[in-house]
Amino acid sequence: MRFTIFQDSRQGDRQGNEDRIGYSYSRDVLLMTVCDGMGGHQDGEVAAEIAVTEITRRFQQEARQVLKRPFDFLVSAIASAHRAIVSHAVEHNLLECPRTTCVACIVQGGRAYWAHAGDSRLYVFRRGQLVAVTQDHSRIQQMIDAGEITPEAAARHPDRNKIFSCLGGVVPPQISIGRELPLEAADTILLSTDGFWAQIPPNILANMLRKQALVDLMPGLLSEAHRRAKGESDNISVVAMTWENQDDARIADTSNLDDEQFATSANTTQQLDVDTPVEDVTDADIERAIAEIQDAIRKVPR
Amino acid sequence: MPQQANQPLPAGYVLNGYRIEKPLSSGGFSIVYLARDEKDVPYAIKEYLPSTMPLRNDGVEVKITDDANLSLFRHGLKCFFEEGRALAMISHPNVVRVENFFRANETCYMVMQYVRGRTLQFHIQRNRHEFTEAFIRRTFTHLMNGLREVHARKLLHLDIKPANIFVSMEGRPVLLDFGAARITLSEEMMKLKPMYTAGFAAPEHYRFKPEELGPWSDIYSVGATIYTCIAGTPPQAGDVREEKDRMIPLRTLATQHYSDDLYDIVDSCLALDHLKRPQTAFELQKRLMEEPPEEKASFLETLNRPLSKLFQR
Repeated sequence: MRFTIFQDSRQGDRQGNEDRIGYSYSRDVLLMTVCDGMGGHQDGEVAAEIAVTEITRRFQQEARQVLKRPFDFLVSAIASAHRAIVSHAVEHNLLECPRTTCVACIVQGGRAYWAHAGDSRLYVFRRGQLVAVTQDHSRIQQMIDAGEITPEAAARHPDRNKIFSCLGGVVPPQISIGRELPLEAADTILLSTDGFWAQIPPNILANMLRKQALVDLMPGLLSEAHRRAKGESDNISVVAMTWENQDDARIADTSNLDDEQFATSANTTQQLDVDTPVEDVTDADIERAIAEIQDAIRKVPR
Repeated sequence: MPQQANQPLPAGYVLNGYRIEKPLSSGGFSIVYLARDEKDVPYAIKEYLPSTMPLRNDGVEVKITDDANLSLFRHGLKCFFEEGRALAMISHPNVVRVENFFRANETCYMVMQYVRGRTLQFHIQRNRHEFTEAFIRRTFTHLMNGLREVHARKLLHLDIKPANIFVSMEGRPVLLDFGAARITLSEEMMKLKPMYTAGFAAPEHYRFKPEELGPWSDIYSVGATIYTCIAGTPPQAGDVREEKDRMIPLRTLATQHYSDDLYDIVDSCLALDHLKRPQTAFELQKRLMEEPPEEKASFLETLNRPLSKLFQR
């Protein structure tokens, strides 16, 4: 796979950063994750941290070859992150379960697959157009969908941060999955928290991405998002990837990676690029175990 | 125990030369069948099939639909291999014997000797009045021979209970089901592991600290099993007892006379502090073999009874 990837997470004007983001890729599969720990809830950053860690861990365990069912993987990994957050709350006797949004995307075989819960977004840009976007699990989005409010008014609505699906909390998350999207060269997939997307409209992004390379463009756009919030900026986080011409030898190719090796980067406090903890049982292991047992059966006198 | 969600193999199906007759039992991890080879010799064949994963709706092949399940399925398979390895190493009249082990239908099978008889569980429900002190001492003394062999191989059974002890037609106890032998504590395993059986598992078993487990943990389960033979119900669960011990004293539940010595043995096996239990199967065996002086007459009397009378139905 040839792609360029950018990620950054900034504190904005908040006391701390409750966003957690990360990506991890092997020779054939890429995972990108963005989680926005919920402010106002105790330990929001803990929830986001657990979510990114757990989803990445599952990825490194199951994506050693290509994922057979990427959507099943996404839903199951997000659900297990939810359970991990709830377990954490129970273990630590937290009065309120920490919560987080989550958007995650898998790229393999030249196709993109994504799933989300909450209001962290995924955009896909192609030739200056927004061609795919996640629908926020928010009250305001429901109002827009019902025609009760215009998108412009929504941006100033007091309830614009209220979401009805998230990880953690008493209700299991509602997880929406995107469609399987075949990628074309120069497509860009961008995942972000509301600290970014609330300030930078997708049409601006679409336009600028046509003129500038991702890694050159994004740092300035994050600063712009911060500036536009006029001293009240939320945490600002983006993970974005441009799918390159797969024959362009100037772009690094993941096929340089060894078998079952993962390159990982995240702003979690925990190191994620450790070797996969659980060893998979291969056909060869099974045959060996059976041979050993049969050998023992023969040797021990009966 | 979770219900087995999967279809058993159909009667008459020929599996690697063994003709399936019927399912004998099914548990969290597997289905056990009665089957016969070409010479009509009966065997108990255990098929690895985690009950919580829907793997076989029709036909005989096990089908795994996604990567996560494949990974889980195969990690559970490791436990099944541990059981196979454990049993293959042991040849003892009081431990079920494994005769063959093979792969088929995308899963694995363990062929075990078929012992004619019933589980101790069955006898507790039907014939508890026959459980004289002599019967209990003799059965568990023999069983300790098997358990000593298990422990000598550096294995722990970890799921001793009446349902896992078979009593053959001749009265020989046989230890079955080594599915829990050697626990693995990764999170993946927790999802697959059928829970230990409440009442029979030692308190340290609930804590999932492998370093606390030892022969004394199996001894606790043996104590709980003897308790059940006498009381008809298992003792209060170990983890609950640790919070507040409300185990009903065994002598108040007995429906016939047993010696103080036997009650003391059971009590010591069920000590919450594992250091207060008999530390080895041999130590427990020695205590079971000491005849309580005041019981001599009835003990000998029972011994003289033909064995068949113990299991009249």
